[in-house]
Amino acid sequence: MTLTRRHTLGLLGATAATGLAAPAIAQNTPLKVGALRFTSHSPSFIALEKGLFADAGLDVELVFFEAAQPMALAIASGDVDYAMTAISGGLINLARKGAIRVIGGGLSEEEGIDGQKILVSDAAMQAGIDAPSKLDGKRWGVTQAGSSFHYMGSKIAQAEGISLEFTPLQKVPAVIGALKSGQIDGWSIVPHIAKPLAGSGAVHIVGDVADYLPGYQVTTLFTSAANAENRSQTEAFLGAFGQGVTDYNSTMIDQSGGQDGVDAMVDLIHKYVYTDRERERAAPSIINGTMRINEGAALNLASVRDQLEWFQSENLIDASITIEDLVDTTYVETVG
Amino acid sequence: MDLAVEGLGHRYGGTEVLRDISLEIPAGRILCVVGPSGCGKSTLLRMIGGLERPSAGRVVQIGEAPATSLNPLTFVFQDFALLPWRSVAGNVSLVLEDNALPRARRDAIIADVLARTRLSDFAHALPRQLSGGMKQRVAIARALAVDPAVLLMDEPLSALDAQTRELLMEDLIGLWSRTPFTAIYVTHNLAEAVRLGHRIAVLSRRPGQVREVVEIDMPLADRQAGDPELEAVQARLWDLMRDEARAADAELLDG
Amino acid sequence: MADATDSHGSKPPRTDAAASREIRFRGGGFRPQSNRWAGIAVFIVLIALVEIGLRQGWISALTLPRPSAVGATLWQLWESGNLTRHLFPSLSRLAVGGAMGALAGIAIGVAIGLFGLARAGLVPLVAAIFPIPKIALLPLFVIWFGIGEGSKYALIALGTFTPTVVATFGAVDNVDRTLIRMGQSFGLTWWSIVRKIVLPGAMPGILSGLRVSLAIAIILLVAAEMLGAQAGIGAYILEAGSLYDLDRLFAGVVILSALGVTLSWAMGLLEKRVLRWRA
Repeated sequence: MTLTRRHTLGLLGATAATGLAAPAIAQNTPLKVGALRFTSHSPSFIALEKGLFADAGLDVELVFFEAAQPMALAIASGDVDYAMTAISGGLINLARKGAIRVIGGGLSEEEGIDGQKILVSDAAMQAGIDAPSKLDGKRWGVTQAGSSFHYMGSKIAQAEGISLEFTPLQKVPAVIGALKSGQIDGWSIVPHIAKPLAGSGAVHIVGDVADYLPGYQVTTLFTSAANAENRSQTEAFLGAFGQGVTDYNSTMIDQSGGQDGVDAMVDLIHKYVYTDRERERAAPSIINGTMRINEGAALNLASVRDQLEWFQSENLIDASITIEDLVDTTYVETVG
Repeated sequence: MDLAVEGLGHRYGGTEVLRDISLEIPAGRILCVVGPSGCGKSTLLRMIGGLERPSAGRVVQIGEAPATSLNPLTFVFQDFALLPWRSVAGNVSLVLEDNALPRARRDAIIADVLARTRLSDFAHALPRQLSGGMKQRVAIARALAVDPAVLLMDEPLSALDAQTRELLMEDLIGLWSRTPFTAIYVTHNLAEAVRLGHRIAVLSRRPGQVREVVEIDMPLADRQAGDPELEAVQARLWDLMRDEARAADAELLDG
Repeated sequence: MADATDSHGSKPPRTDAAASREIRFRGGGFRPQSNRWAGIAVFIVLIALVEIGLRQGWISALTLPRPSAVGATLWQLWESGNLTRHLFPSLSRLAVGGAMGALAGIAIGVAIGLFGLARAGLVPLVAAIFPIPKIALLPLFVIWFGIGEGSKYALIALGTFTPTVVATFGAVDNVDRTLIRMGQSFGLTWWSIVRKIVLPGAMPGILSGLRVSLAIAIILLVAAEMLGAQAGIGAYILEAGSLYDLDRLFAGVVILSALGVTLSWAMGLLEKRVLRWRA
């Protein structure tokens, strides 16, 4: 505990730098934060493990989910207070009913940083499909209609002037299975899943999502409409989360703490991610999965607007929904 | 075509049900088989008809069946055995369909047997719409349709009430008088036996053996209910059977 | 005989004496009268309550869709032609998968009913397949039969197969043996006996088994459309669920219910036609 305490003290300056005043909320406000066991959720793990949430007066309990979709429902039902996930049609429809608001950004596609990969099955590769442009008329794996995979595939198809057959498979493992067995031809996924798959030879990487969707706001932070009204609590959460982001980016990407810093961070993340493997085998996956998370939970509003318009053009959500229904822009810095 | 049963015996597991039965069934005559319940008379009939295999002895056919007979040995069952999903005509048609008959010929046979059993008006009725007596007349019509050499009748009137039984007996006598047929008629009802049988074989209780074969010379058409001569034969049959029936009854109770 | 004369005499029945009174009726009851309007009224009242509750705000918009919005969604589905776009693939999956499962089930069921070897060999197998949640086998079917229609047909077929087998061989067992003996006594061929006596005799049992199988087929339809279906009522419901679009979700559920009711009605009609010979 002493070590954690020292570290926290060292980060106090960073808190001031984000421009958030010391939150005026009661100590030990209980809060539930939804998370997936992905490295991209590391800021929450760091903020909890290093006492950043506690210092902000929040008594955080992490609630783990198997998929992003139930997380949005849990926010709407009030079982979870804050969470981070990709924007989906379901999330927007819940926002329209006044149940949830997007308050910040998580992962973004950024030039120069390893982002989501476009994959094709081995069978498709054998048939000569070695670029996204050659996927015309082929099956593209999605979890569900209106998922981020659907959005990415649709945008890639639009840019290449091809048409894809979107194949819903409900769950990520089902998509992976279908891609490996050649039942579907193409898919896009975060690098820490894409690379090991490609390494096994069962699938092949043929492009980057970032080439088609520069600045794509992959995941967003969101909360219930009621929590969004509670400024002091939400600011306290974002402040602690932001410190976690800074710590993660500087340690894992900028290597400010050297190899020791990376090792310590991997130890911390390994408590939550790849827990079924021993550390030696988990470490490469955790390091491979490193992606830069938006500093200060900044939000690429242009990307969110593009996603919103795409959902509307696909008739997946009501045409009357506006960006104001979805996003509360008063908390974080926005781009675009 | 005549039939003969020669030294027929049968056992189910350890129980002997029939022992050394020998009978002759000449063409154009009705042989009644009577006996106390459980004496194996229905089993005997099924063996004569080839539905069961005897443990000992054999059933022999003497002479050829008429070429016109589609099914020389034809059963009439106690519970009618009509297909409930087929109409009266359909039930008759069933037994003709496996024979390569021209359609017109088949229809003619059906019309003929229904007329003979006075069922022409009910050709399209379903079995559930018919009374018990009518159902048995359908079964008889069906049996007649295949022009049998021998009719094997297994208590055909037992499921019917007394009045219906009387009417149906008259029907059977009428049918036989117009065209005499060969029949083995199994029953436990002595009144039926003396009305319909040219000869009556009395079986003992289990294991069934032939106690006696009684001949009745009176023509079938002349036999009336309450006829003193028939009453006398019936009384004699009952004398033969009474002790057997009582013993068989006790045997069943001892079980 | 004396009594009989008395009771048929001209004396009027005695009703004036103090000791005589009418026997109190104590039968009746325990025989619910069917009233179709009550059922419809319950539906209407429930729907009206939900509509009013949502408009007044005492039911949260998150929990239920407005019935009027569901109605509008159904109308849009119909008007845009999307209803047929979704209904046609679902119905063809039901028809093909259901027909395959039911025909195979009847064939195997009859075989089990008629042959000792088939009974000894197949009954344990069917008993083993019956309790497997067929949905769990869907990924396997995708590998075997492809992600297209093949795996969907297979899932629905397997789901309808087992209850049909069980119902069929039970029904064959229950066919009146005396009818079969009758067929044999008239020298009918084996095939004639099966076709004209065993099958029609087993038909009531087979049809009631088919009723169960059809309901299972509709349940499995949604599951079958989980993997790789772009159109279909099940896919439509799953999509609405993932979009948290309650209007569409309920519209889809209404269509499924209507499908169930229609198929059940059609089965009733079929039973009435095929089993006309029963009372």
